[in-house]
Amino acid sequence: MNDSMIKKMLYVFLIFLFSFQAIVYAGTPVINIEIRNHLFIPSEIVIPKNTKVKLIIHNHDETDEEFESFELNREKVIVGQCKGIIFIGPLPEGEYPFFGEFFPKTAQGKVIVK
Amino acid sequence: MLLSSVIIVLREVLEAALLFSVLIALSKQMGVNFRWLVWSMLLGLLGAFIYGMNIQLVSEWFEGVGQEVSNALIQLVIYFMLVLYMLMLSYYSYRQKTSKFLLSLIMTVIVALAMTREGAEIILYFFSVTHSDAHYLAVLVGMTIGASIGISIGLLFYYLLNSLKPERSIFIGLILLLLVSAGMISQASLLLIQADWLPAQLPLWNSSELLSEKSVTGQLLYALLGYESTPTAIQAGLYLLSLILPLTLIAGLKFTCTKNHSSL
Repeated sequence: MNDSMIKKMLYVFLIFLFSFQAIVYAGTPVINIEIRNHLFIPSEIVIPKNTKVKLIIHNHDETDEEFESFELNREKVIVGQCKGIIFIGPLPEGEYPFFGEFFPKTAQGKVIVK
Repeated sequence: MLLSSVIIVLREVLEAALLFSVLIALSKQMGVNFRWLVWSMLLGLLGAFIYGMNIQLVSEWFEGVGQEVSNALIQLVIYFMLVLYMLMLSYYSYRQKTSKFLLSLIMTVIVALAMTREGAEIILYFFSVTHSDAHYLAVLVGMTIGASIGISIGLLFYYLLNSLKPERSIFIGLILLLLVSAGMISQASLLLIQADWLPAQLPLWNSSELLSEKSVTGQLLYALLGYESTPTAIQAGLYLLSLILPLTLIAGLKFTCTKNHSSL
């Protein structure tokens, strides 16, 4: 096996690796949620069933909030004026409420899986 | 405001109080004095403040999943410390001797780390809700009530364990620690799934109709053994493994102890 062959194989391998990466990233839908005045905006999001989804939560309030959901099994502090990433799913069809543990009176929302 | 602050603090404190009460009761059985508790609680408070104040920095680690990874790591370390503790407890029950220094050290790590994790959340909560002042008093009262309920349940556990015969309290304490430690692994695996470090899967079953995680019993079981109503295969598998590991080690220890004993 000569050098050029090894190089070719390396290229093929790299292309394979990157295409795989592209598939992985393309396959994970991203949904943005904002927190303003202790409210989730939008408060209802719809995601496809049996699919992993990346939630990006942008907290525009000065105060921290804790994203929490018993149904989704998720819990994460979203620092004030920062964003946080949470992966959810794959999930069967249904409704999955979530809330802000620090301000639960107003910070309420749900994920609808269809 | 009052009720939500009772609930949030109770949830955090309960988990720690159950674990601490078992550790304190068992260490008393083994003749360890309480000095370690003071040090570990001071360390835990310090840790909670450092973690809470740097939560933004921690959150940004590992491309935005630093919180999950750090918390999972804390749970993992607590788990392995608990396994060590269970081994020392079993050894004590066979030979009636132990290293008090090592026991204190293990318990200090467990208590300090658990307080760091739970305490940081309480501190963040406190600063967030009192940011716009208004509810200062209600929040403080609520937090005090929540903490008191949690500590009372812990004390109840402590006195229950202490009122039993030594062998029995060690046996029951061992089972409780086994469950709590597996709960740590259940939580750690959940966090790593949330961070996308462990593969996400469809839940294996859904027992939320039977026992909701929101219910009081569900919350207690969550604190005690990491109850989840919709676990995935990976989570359930790791949970089982985390039970099997200490049991195997304890069985091995028992085997060696009894073998050595008969050869004497």
